[in-house]
Amino acid sequence: MELLDKLKILADAAKYDVSCSSSGSKRKNNKGIGNTYHSGICHSWSADGRCISLLKILFTNFCIYDCAYCINRVTNDILRATFTPDEIVDLTINFYQRNYIEGLFLSSAILKSPNYTMELLLETVKKLRDEKKFNGYIHLKVIPGADPILIESAGKYVDRLSVNVELPSNRDLKLLAPQKKRESIIKPMGAISNKIKEKREEVRKYKNASKFVPAGQTTQMIVGATEDTDLNILRLTEILYKQFRLKRVYYSAYVPVSKHPNLPSISTPPLLREHRLYQADWLLRFYGFKANELLYSSKPYFNVHLDPKSDWALKNIHLFPVEINKASYEMLLRVPGLGIRSAKRIVTARKMNSLNYEDLKRIGVVLKRAKYFITCKGKYYGPKNVNIDKIRGMLIGNNYNLKYKTSEGQQISMFNLYPSVLKNMIVIL
Amino acid sequence: MIYYIYDGSFDGLLTAIYESYYRRENPVKIFAENDFQQNLFIPKVHIKTHKKKAERVYNSIREKVSRNALRNIFYAYLSELPNVGTWIYDYIKLGFKVKEDIDKYLSDKRVSKIHKIAQRVRHERHLILGLIRFKKLENNIYYSQIEPKYNIIGLVSPHFAKRFSDQYWIIHDVKRKIGSIYNKKEWIIKDISSIKEAIKYDKNELLYQKLWVEYFINIAIKDRINPKLQMKNMPKRYWGYLTEKAYNSKEGVRTCKL
Repeated sequence: MELLDKLKILADAAKYDVSCSSSGSKRKNNKGIGNTYHSGICHSWSADGRCISLLKILFTNFCIYDCAYCINRVTNDILRATFTPDEIVDLTINFYQRNYIEGLFLSSAILKSPNYTMELLLETVKKLRDEKKFNGYIHLKVIPGADPILIESAGKYVDRLSVNVELPSNRDLKLLAPQKKRESIIKPMGAISNKIKEKREEVRKYKNASKFVPAGQTTQMIVGATEDTDLNILRLTEILYKQFRLKRVYYSAYVPVSKHPNLPSISTPPLLREHRLYQADWLLRFYGFKANELLYSSKPYFNVHLDPKSDWALKNIHLFPVEINKASYEMLLRVPGLGIRSAKRIVTARKMNSLNYEDLKRIGVVLKRAKYFITCKGKYYGPKNVNIDKIRGMLIGNNYNLKYKTSEGQQISMFNLYPSVLKNMIVIL
Repeated sequence: MIYYIYDGSFDGLLTAIYESYYRRENPVKIFAENDFQQNLFIPKVHIKTHKKKAERVYNSIREKVSRNALRNIFYAYLSELPNVGTWIYDYIKLGFKVKEDIDKYLSDKRVSKIHKIAQRVRHERHLILGLIRFKKLENNIYYSQIEPKYNIIGLVSPHFAKRFSDQYWIIHDVKRKIGSIYNKKEWIIKDISSIKEAIKYDKNELLYQKLWVEYFINIAIKDRINPKLQMKNMPKRYWGYLTEKAYNSKEGVRTCKL
């Protein structure tokens, strides 16, 4: 088979892997080819609008497993191909030298056995690093069930490792991916996490200690292939960040790739749900939110119409409005519409002189949503006789139906939209 | 009321700032020669670029204000906006007054103006780091053409000197007729007004272009096609030089738009 045909098949098979990030590593060009860029670089954007940073391919799409949600499952009738390590090395180097990519993201279906596959992946990255002196970014997928020694060995060569959680609960894993076991996913994650911690301490003590997965580990979950609630997914995410110190958890809206009695029959991927999860994920990582502030057992799904932060703010309206010149940085982060950059700018600028509404605009704060939740020098700039329903209406009016049709989200009843607490009118000023 | 006119170089602009302090004049506007529009009623002073004077301003901004302020000024200057000389002058006047705190005055018009412009230049620099596409020529040179909005060629060159330290490369800014040329040791910026010889690709160049284009097509998820998002992230004005967008199956990417 021609290299071109292989590339078509194995790029196509890799496209459902979400991660594209090339950040977090400071590998220098050591008399070879390339280096890494700490904040990562996007090199292109494909027709679906997602960034292309790494050459994202599978080593092979021949698979011995039969995971119902996966396009590469053994029982699926599709074109199959397998690269050789040299082919991947050649593609990576030549793409890299033309500045098409930041590096390689290599994953694979399972050929013969987990160990056999992992050895092939390891051989490929070793060739890149040792023979070609390639110092660009390498993200390697860990094959569940592979020998821990192989995984540890790979960690010395790559910038990032990831083990896919795939499905949020063990029950679903049994149902849809009977050959994958929970332990084979969690164990390597724990091992990698421990090793990273250990190496970090070593680096602190000895200057020349070798690196281990300098850009950390990530994972990916499929959303919408099972009946898991947003709450379950978010709780699991929180645990993964805390316990295993993951750099990122990625979510991928389930794209219907097969008909299977255990899979939902949907026509379009649940993009809105995926979007809400990413928003909440950001709130966990950068905004100081906890999972149980956003979702709880009586509210297991995200609001379809409102982003999680606005939703939270309306439920905690007694905390607002906050005075922009006095509120703590942590509180500013909780104002809908204010991001990290805006909050930081406010904190810096107000040291020099107190800020009014025009000042906020000038320093680049977007007030479309924030204006309902703040005062500047005691003055409120939202509508007169404001009440919570009014704010809700304004917020929803801004993005309702703009991006997504509601039908693809979770079924919601009118009662969900207007919980009784919110009927208490509040008048600000 | 008085206008200063400088030759358009960064040193020229710094000399103008020097002169305004030395002569105790307060020009309302500082223009580059090319951007200047005649106005009969306002007296103009032509500033002669002076390396030593420029250096003194450069050093005193760095030491008395801050390195960060100096960087902001340089980035804003590279925007080549018609009025940027005046904005920089206003910003640095405040800088000499409030010293290293200058960049905390975010709500001051003079500061926010320069920050916004510098930010736009910085953003394009970062975008171009990813969007530059080299083509391998038969003489082992990796050649690339760009047409950036701002004059960022000098800002991206250090990155490629580090990354591709073992390759000969040229980054050619077609719009400004300049190129950054790297000889495996150092890079310099030179005028490139025309290319005399025909550009010939390395024998494998078209193969890799084709491979990349196929990869680009196949990595997109068909159920999630979103041209708006694609265009938002990667504005159309850059597509003309992108291998994956400008590719045609007969001759690959056209080499030259001169």
